[in-house]
Amino acid sequence: MTVFLLILFGFLAGIVGGMGMGGGTVLVPLLSFLDMSQKTIQAINLISFLPMCCVALVFHAKNKLVQTKHVWWLIVPAIVFAVVGALIADRADNKVLRLCFAIFLIAVGIWQLIVAIKFIVKQKKSVNQCNPADTGVFVEEESTDTEQ
Amino acid sequence: MNLTAKNKWILVIFSALAGFINGFLGGGGGVLIVALLLAVVKLHQKHSQATALLIILPLTVVSAAVYLIKGNVDWTPTLWATLGVVVGGIVGALLLSKIKGNVAKIIFALVLIAGGIKMLF
Repeated sequence: MTVFLLILFGFLAGIVGGMGMGGGTVLVPLLSFLDMSQKTIQAINLISFLPMCCVALVFHAKNKLVQTKHVWWLIVPAIVFAVVGALIADRADNKVLRLCFAIFLIAVGIWQLIVAIKFIVKQKKSVNQCNPADTGVFVEEESTDTEQ
Repeated sequence: MNLTAKNKWILVIFSALAGFINGFLGGGGGVLIVALLLAVVKLHQKHSQATALLIILPLTVVSAAVYLIKGNVDWTPTLWATLGVVVGGIVGALLLSKIKGNVAKIIFALVLIAGGIKMLF
């Protein structure tokens, strides 16, 4: 049963992760239903993400969705502080880690909800400003200026 | 598009924060990276989500290495969950090229809030 749940939870989180939305933020709360320490769950999350990320990247590269310009400005500081964070996590209490994760999830959820609602309101306004003959379909503009 | 000095600093500071969160909580940094790519690098939603994976990959490798060295990895559940994640990842990547950005976002936000509340108890 536990094996089935591990595969099922992984599958659900993988769908979200493959869409580039941070599947880990879904896998960790799902795994917290099972009897495992928070550090074990976090390690599962990190390791299970690696092959998934490689597979998803191949698909996204084929769809020409990956833009490499400016990425070093994010990769280098993120790597350095990821090591710092992982070292602090090793010394932290499992209960504290779980609480921090819960607060982080709720904060990100509320933030993302606000962003999405603002975006929809903006979209509705721009549709209303169009010629009546054009209404009904909002076509998202495709990026052309970000290619190297 | 070229970055201003101010924007470079914003990228460095917030990606450092995303990296810290990803190492400390074992994930979650991706959400911040996507937001940075959208707001500062001015990529579109789908491009931001795909490019974020490229940035999170190396920082997840180093975080996972630290967890491994410190003995926090339990391989049996890790391998079963990984099997599910890989199959789900392929399905998700195929969906991303079809789905509308804001619909996915609202569903995602609600799932996060529910997950956070569950973890509090």
